[in-house]
Amino acid sequence: MAVARSSPSAGVRWLLLLLILVVQFALLEAGLRVYGSFEGTTTFQQLFTTHPQVGVVLRPGAQIRYTTVEFTTDIAINEQGVRDDAPLGPKLPGERRVLVLGDSLVLSVQVPLAATFCKDLERRLNGRVGSEERWRVINGGVQGYGPVQEWFYFDKIAAAFQPDIVLIVAFVGNDAIEAADAAAWLEQGRPLEDKQPTLNQMRRIVRSSVVLQYARMRWDQLSSRWSTGTPERPLSSYLSDPPPIVGQGLEISRKAFGLIADRARGVGARTAIALMPARFQTDDPDYGRLAEIVRHAGGELVRNSASERFRTTLAPLGLPMVDLQPALAAQPDRIGLFFQRNVHLTPRGHDVVGGALFEFLESSGLTKAAGR
Amino acid sequence: MIFTSLQFVEFFAVVYVLYRLLPHRGQNWMLLGASYVFYGFWDWRFLSLLWGSTIVDFLVARYLGRETDQGKRRWALVLSLLFNFGMLGFFKYFNFFEDSLVVMAGWVGWHLDPLTLDVLLPIGISFYTFMTVSYVIDVYRREIVPTAHLADFALFVAYFPHLVAGPILRASLLLPQIEKPRTITREQIVGGLWLIGWGCFQKMFVADNLAPLVDTVFGPSSTPSGADILVASWAFAFQIYGDFAGYSNIARGVSKLMGIELNVNFLFPYFVTSPQEFWRHWHISLSTWLRDYLYISLGGNRLGTWKTYRNLMITMVLGGLWHGAAWTFVFWGAYQGLMLVIGRAVGAGRDVAMKWSPARILAAFLMFQVTCYGWLIFRAESIQQVGTFTKRLFTAFNPTIATLDSLLVPMLWVVVPLLIVHIAQAREGSESAPVSWPLPVRYALYGAVFYLVLLFGDFEGAQFIYFQF
Repeated sequence: MAVARSSPSAGVRWLLLLLILVVQFALLEAGLRVYGSFEGTTTFQQLFTTHPQVGVVLRPGAQIRYTTVEFTTDIAINEQGVRDDAPLGPKLPGERRVLVLGDSLVLSVQVPLAATFCKDLERRLNGRVGSEERWRVINGGVQGYGPVQEWFYFDKIAAAFQPDIVLIVAFVGNDAIEAADAAAWLEQGRPLEDKQPTLNQMRRIVRSSVVLQYARMRWDQLSSRWSTGTPERPLSSYLSDPPPIVGQGLEISRKAFGLIADRARGVGARTAIALMPARFQTDDPDYGRLAEIVRHAGGELVRNSASERFRTTLAPLGLPMVDLQPALAAQPDRIGLFFQRNVHLTPRGHDVVGGALFEFLESSGLTKAAGR
Repeated sequence: MIFTSLQFVEFFAVVYVLYRLLPHRGQNWMLLGASYVFYGFWDWRFLSLLWGSTIVDFLVARYLGRETDQGKRRWALVLSLLFNFGMLGFFKYFNFFEDSLVVMAGWVGWHLDPLTLDVLLPIGISFYTFMTVSYVIDVYRREIVPTAHLADFALFVAYFPHLVAGPILRASLLLPQIEKPRTITREQIVGGLWLIGWGCFQKMFVADNLAPLVDTVFGPSSTPSGADILVASWAFAFQIYGDFAGYSNIARGVSKLMGIELNVNFLFPYFVTSPQEFWRHWHISLSTWLRDYLYISLGGNRLGTWKTYRNLMITMVLGGLWHGAAWTFVFWGAYQGLMLVIGRAVGAGRDVAMKWSPARILAAFLMFQVTCYGWLIFRAESIQQVGTFTKRLFTAFNPTIATLDSLLVPMLWVVVPLLIVHIAQAREGSESAPVSWPLPVRYALYGAVFYLVLLFGDFEGAQFIYFQF
């Protein structure tokens, strides 16, 4: 056996192992940059830039083709930094605007622009019989945003888009946890990266490497098992007995959404909230799988509990609110509403959400309030 | 608590520290307690079945060991078999047979009111039942002497590395290792760690990445082309292999770290060239069990050609049913039996060395297709789906770019690394071969396995397929 016949010293062995790991790292990095198809790739990261008062924003003028095994999408960011082919100029006479705030579920890099629920909603609003108003629905979603970043983005950037309606799409799957993580930001009124140079430096290094981004993703998954007993931290929002961070996150979400509503009122817009469910809230096999994992970890996953918690927490704001889960759950083939690997809405899911939002805006009278 | 979960890492870390600190008897008691904790994590209520099986078979074996009257011994054996297979039959097959009876009665115009019992399947029951049965039969045949220590026997039955998904161990292999003090060598630690890493690769990288591809095609609302079905069958072949062989390797690795050797359960089963050879390389602990306790008991090949074929069919149909209470498993067993009969009729089945030649590669590829049709039956949601998919394979093949992009390429990305390592391992006839490869090659392999599992493995704790059996 080689173990017995070759006897390099321990130091030489470790050096050899390290060298091999570094070479493999470099090969993987190169391979993933060319062939990789996930959000950590440098191609995808070209969509983003930083804003001193907001944090990460979409890069104005960016254009990429994003390919995964499930889809290929051409994505264009306009000059104002929102996903659209056309720029946002001053509002024209008879034009009304809906600004949709949210995270990746709003941005929707998984589907072509025309298939997003924002564009679907726009078509439905412009297709109303007897209306001469021309509606523009602005996709103000940014990957990775939580309620606090949405507030910063609206306050510093999107309030200038002259919206008539601000529609906050709260993703109940992770908004509470993300809001809790950004509690200090909300307190300070800005992102706090500048005060943590070492951590920032590490983040920059991780962001610059596809392999390290994968590794960070794994670390997040594993550490969430330690800290919350769930395969992903956000799942703790659905536990029958959630950790305190969920309650804190809900409160911060309410505060951030309240700030958005106040600021919207200041620019003459009305605010509404839509609660977006996670895939497993409509996909039975996915729910069964996750519930089993959580059960093994000693917890209990309650399917729509995060939606209910958001509804209860946000009710005191007195804003019109719609839960999108019932509309999605009422579909005959619910498994086809979200992609299987990339857990975002499919074109069919977007169509359902677009329809549900249209019904909501109509029934709540928001579309009628033209003269505000 | 599955092997690829953090819970198991925590569990085993505690067990291993205690194991290294305790003397031999203390180790055994601790392992017994840990095994019951491990089992209780799934459903503590079924511990009583495990204990019942342990006590009954311990007592029966003791009786068989001292009794000389062959008639009484036979009765004791029959009682033990009735007890074991009665429990297995009730918990695993009650609903299946009852539903089937109601359907069949309907065919002849009888209406039977189904007796609805919500019977849960105790995890691992198929595995530990076969172990205790083999122990009693071995004692009955006077091939082994029954152990005098209930705790040793209980550990043999409940030893956590094999408890819920095998390998199905023989008492002659495991009991002596339990009874005698163990030493742990450096080779065992190196070999054990390699098997754990390799098993994680097989499960988390290979099996769990193939599962979504397979599920897409075999899903209830899917209408795939014949080409999609073919590629999904290939993918499922590697999914179930990675899943089960991965589990077996982690079990062997974990056990090796404690100085206890378990038997090899898989040996490059997709490199074989005949059905006979396949069953000597796939789920070896089950196939040898079926051979030794069923096929040979039925007469084996000693009663002429036709009875040999009959025995093969009976053995494999029951082997199929062992996998699960569904007609697809029965059909899969019948298909395997038929392949063995055909293989025997044409004189195939010699176990040949893994030396590569164009003819052997072609034969292995063709045998792989035969195996994959079996996997199609095994994976199908229903017998109707088997019929539909078989028809599509021959009448609506229609390969498209989507077949290539969404199925074949993602499948090859996962399977090719496995095959490259397997080809090298097969030359030396062992999955443990890498631990003796030259240092740079070995480290390169360790690094590749580490990166592939870390970056592309499934960390969501997907269950092992064989847990349901």
